[in-house]
Amino acid sequence: MSENIPLDTAKLSTSQAIFKGALIILPLSIAVIPWGILAGSLAVEAGLLDTQAQAVSALVFAGSVQLVGMGLIKAGASLATLLLTTLFLTSRHLLYSATLRTRISHLPIHQRLILGFLLTDELFAVCSHQTRKQFSFWYAFGAGFSFYIIWQLASLSGILLGQSIPNLDQYGLDFAVAATFIAIVLPTIKKLSVLVTVVIALFLSVTFSVLEIEGGIIYSSLIAMSFGYAVSMIRKEPL
Amino acid sequence: MSWLTLLAMAALVFISRYIFLEPKLPIRLGPKILHFLHYTGPAVLTAIWAPIVFHQNGELNLEINNPYFIAAIVATILAITTRNVLISTVFSMALFFMIK
Repeated sequence: MSENIPLDTAKLSTSQAIFKGALIILPLSIAVIPWGILAGSLAVEAGLLDTQAQAVSALVFAGSVQLVGMGLIKAGASLATLLLTTLFLTSRHLLYSATLRTRISHLPIHQRLILGFLLTDELFAVCSHQTRKQFSFWYAFGAGFSFYIIWQLASLSGILLGQSIPNLDQYGLDFAVAATFIAIVLPTIKKLSVLVTVVIALFLSVTFSVLEIEGGIIYSSLIAMSFGYAVSMIRKEPL
Repeated sequence: MSWLTLLAMAALVFISRYIFLEPKLPIRLGPKILHFLHYTGPAVLTAIWAPIVFHQNGELNLEINNPYFIAAIVATILAITTRNVLISTVFSMALFFMIK
């Protein structure tokens, strides 16, 4: 994927840039469809009204937050747990916005707000290779907005299917989540510190999940990140 | 779920995505914090996918005939060799539904 990304999108016309953006994110948009269906059906199963279920996808627009959040609501978790888990799951977006700060912060406010709203793992994946000069608002918008539309349609399918097909969550659509994140994370393991982070996060998240520890994703991630950071400090790895 | 809860979730997500895109933000992240945050992606994403693969219906599943496990191994191999998200996802999902 990364090999054929048109890096220099600043010289394209507006419509060309939107089209290129939509095209480059298309593989990720397709891979997210089962996930969107699952998010929609889980929301209905968690007891949300149809309008609320669609509103979650339209306003929250974050697959991992939606899947984990609906699971928590269904399990009757407290509001504090729900919001803390949301905060931690979404905290990786802080890194994305920090990374893209030099490329986006000089844009007009409406463009900043739009790209901020659309800043998913997937949009970050297609924009993070570009330099400030190569970056263009319309390219990022084409990628982010086309991904948003697909997510809405997939969620809507899930909301409608969830009513006619019971237990949609038993069909293994959650594997799409695992497959997508494996495909995003594994190729980034190029340093020992990242490998250590992944292995510890894997072991601890499964352990905490089996032990039914609330906020297990939070704890396992923080511990894994600390180990990764420590390993890179000890080995003096370059960033 | 109340609409207020929904809006609070949406606000948290939006703020975390937008905050550093705001040029007026006076906070500067130090190099150590940025270095630590560097591990957020691999850590959080793994902490989401690993329980899906190894923990189903309340039980730890480390069996070699666990379809999630087999398909995850295939996804891993494809992700590392092809570096293509669509190929890795589509092929491992197809395999998953065949053996499930």
